[in-house]
Amino acid sequence: MSSSHASKPDLSDSNVRLGTAGEKIQQAAAIVGICGLLASAVIGFTGMFGTTHDFFVKSWLQNYMFVLSISLGALFFVFIQFLARAGWSATVRRVAELLAGNLQWAWLGLVPLVVLWLSGGSHDAAASHAFDAPDMAQVSYSSEPAATLGAGGGGGDGHGDGHGGGHGHGHAGWGPGIVFPWADMEAMKSHNPAEYDLVSGKVAYLNSTFFWIRNLIYVVFWAFAGRWYLKRSTAQDESGEVGLTSTMQKWSGPMAIGFGLTITFAAFDWIMSLSPGWFSTMFGVYFFCGCCTTGFSMIILATQRLQSFGRLQGLVNAEHYQDLGKLLFAFGMIFWAYIGFSQYMLIWYANIPEETGWFLARQIGGWGTISFLLLFGHFVIPFVAIISKWVKRMRWALMVAAIWMLAFAWLDLFWLVMPVIPMDIMTAETYMEVVEAHVNDTTGITNPLNFTMLAGVGGLYIWMTMRRFRNHRLLAIRDPRLSESLAFENQ
Amino acid sequence: MTSTQTTIPTQAPGGAPGIDTGDPDLRPAYGLIAEFESPGEVLKAAEEVRKAGYRWWDCCTPFPVHGLDGAMGIKPTILPIMVFFAGMTGTIAAFILQAFTNASSLSIWALVWVTGYPYLISGKPMISMPAFIPVMFEVTILFSALTTVFGMFTMNGLPRLHHPLFNSDRFRKVTDDRFFVVIEARDPKYFRSRTEAFLESLGATAVEEVRDDDMTEEMD
Repeated sequence: MSSSHASKPDLSDSNVRLGTAGEKIQQAAAIVGICGLLASAVIGFTGMFGTTHDFFVKSWLQNYMFVLSISLGALFFVFIQFLARAGWSATVRRVAELLAGNLQWAWLGLVPLVVLWLSGGSHDAAASHAFDAPDMAQVSYSSEPAATLGAGGGGGDGHGDGHGGGHGHGHAGWGPGIVFPWADMEAMKSHNPAEYDLVSGKVAYLNSTFFWIRNLIYVVFWAFAGRWYLKRSTAQDESGEVGLTSTMQKWSGPMAIGFGLTITFAAFDWIMSLSPGWFSTMFGVYFFCGCCTTGFSMIILATQRLQSFGRLQGLVNAEHYQDLGKLLFAFGMIFWAYIGFSQYMLIWYANIPEETGWFLARQIGGWGTISFLLLFGHFVIPFVAIISKWVKRMRWALMVAAIWMLAFAWLDLFWLVMPVIPMDIMTAETYMEVVEAHVNDTTGITNPLNFTMLAGVGGLYIWMTMRRFRNHRLLAIRDPRLSESLAFENQ
Repeated sequence: MTSTQTTIPTQAPGGAPGIDTGDPDLRPAYGLIAEFESPGEVLKAAEEVRKAGYRWWDCCTPFPVHGLDGAMGIKPTILPIMVFFAGMTGTIAAFILQAFTNASSLSIWALVWVTGYPYLISGKPMISMPAFIPVMFEVTILFSALTTVFGMFTMNGLPRLHHPLFNSDRFRKVTDDRFFVVIEARDPKYFRSRTEAFLESLGATAVEEVRDDDMTEEMD
């Protein structure tokens, strides 16, 4: 109604197509990506900066999960709009569809893991040498450590864990067992019987064959879902057929079910199974929050950047940014904190050794600092910063928030993937003893590999995204709800 | 907003106290209502009324009209700020409540003497933030929600059982298909004839004076 919407929207190609504008960024991203990957490979294979093999593989996994979560968050955004028959989002949905379209290449991230699986199936002696086996021989899960720990540990913030990290730093060999301990049960049995006791009950699920069958299902489903929406939406640009919207609405329910199941199990398989003795039924939801954080941040950021290129002028306004900001606020900050805390509190309160070890590993040494950084950086500070409607309506402020949240989502994945449950917690008398023994543990956050890998994977992702942005319209120009979206106002 | 439901219009302009209560002309004027037929017209009229410098006036529409707040020049509500600080108060209050009752042996006088009782639960520290957070969260929500509802009520002058505008039969179409601009008599710029002419000049389909009590029903 207000005057800003009175003029006719500019749907010409000069406003809704990127054309050659993004070419330089695309090329630069490709160069940065390739250089980053090459540098990472050099660091990883030569062991520069004390980089171990498992750190190298986990760094790949973490950065792959980071860009994957952007596209998964975007996919969630797309189908949730159809599920709710949302009108407001028609002007920004295409950006999300394009980001979700990248899922077509999600399988690429698994290639290094395939190589890892092929590289060493044997229970390599090198791995066994890396551990002080005699120490661990005393450890038995059934001789419950809680008695000794409980007596001394008035602090009680996490008792010893039933399973030591069988996958400590310092692996010399290759093979899936260096990051996924369950993939090499023989090695685990020899150097960490306590963890073996726990994990041997899970081999029906945690075995290489089933793992790769599941991986195949994930990447096929995601590629299909991402492509499916983009294809129908772009077909509607040409034909203007309203029936396509109905089709996309009709299938958004099954999509939601498939999405929920695949990301839950992917989070179990790719992150939770790094510490196979540990389990949390909430873990999939926690990863889902991470997907929303990165996905919504990237939608905000991409839309903002496109507008600064002079595209989508007069099509995306403060109303849409405010709503995107609300989604980021709700899912990226509040829901993330809610799920993260719920997961923590249940484990903290129950105080069962096989559960608390996972958090203990994230409280000792430098990890404690990162945990607090996450609490404040992922929740408290941005929560207060963008709680106000006026901040969400300021483009630059929302853009800063989006970049900030992407950075902390990356750190969140680092915090999820990298820590290793210490081996000595079984022999420690008290909680504080473990804390003091590991007070100088480093997190590896300053290792340049983190940044070269981010540049590599992120660069390729941006290259892929820019290519897609340049090949398609940036707006669903014939969406039946476009006029509703253009006239949309928050009241 | 300040009207009272009296059956004796003691403050009727020009009327002496104790005069016949049945004379409708002696009821004080509440204001003028101007009827419009479309959201666009009422938006335009609202702009003009604001520019004319009226302060005690309002628009009544059957549904939310986008842009009306801007046209009327309504300032953003301070309710969110109140809610934010109420929420913070809730967080802090819940923390103090738990820390005092479960983790201290202090005695304070709160109507009666209340003593804290340090209670060790499963070896956790006395002040266990993870255990406190659910309560802090809930009290934050409680304080925020109550402040939102009752703050809104207070600032809107709700609840009230009657409003002078309900005296007008014409005004009943506000819940159907008519849009109204209401200028109250207490506005410093309000002059019956001049304001009426002004409203008519805005393209109102009808302008009507509304009286400030509810005697109409009884008189019929």
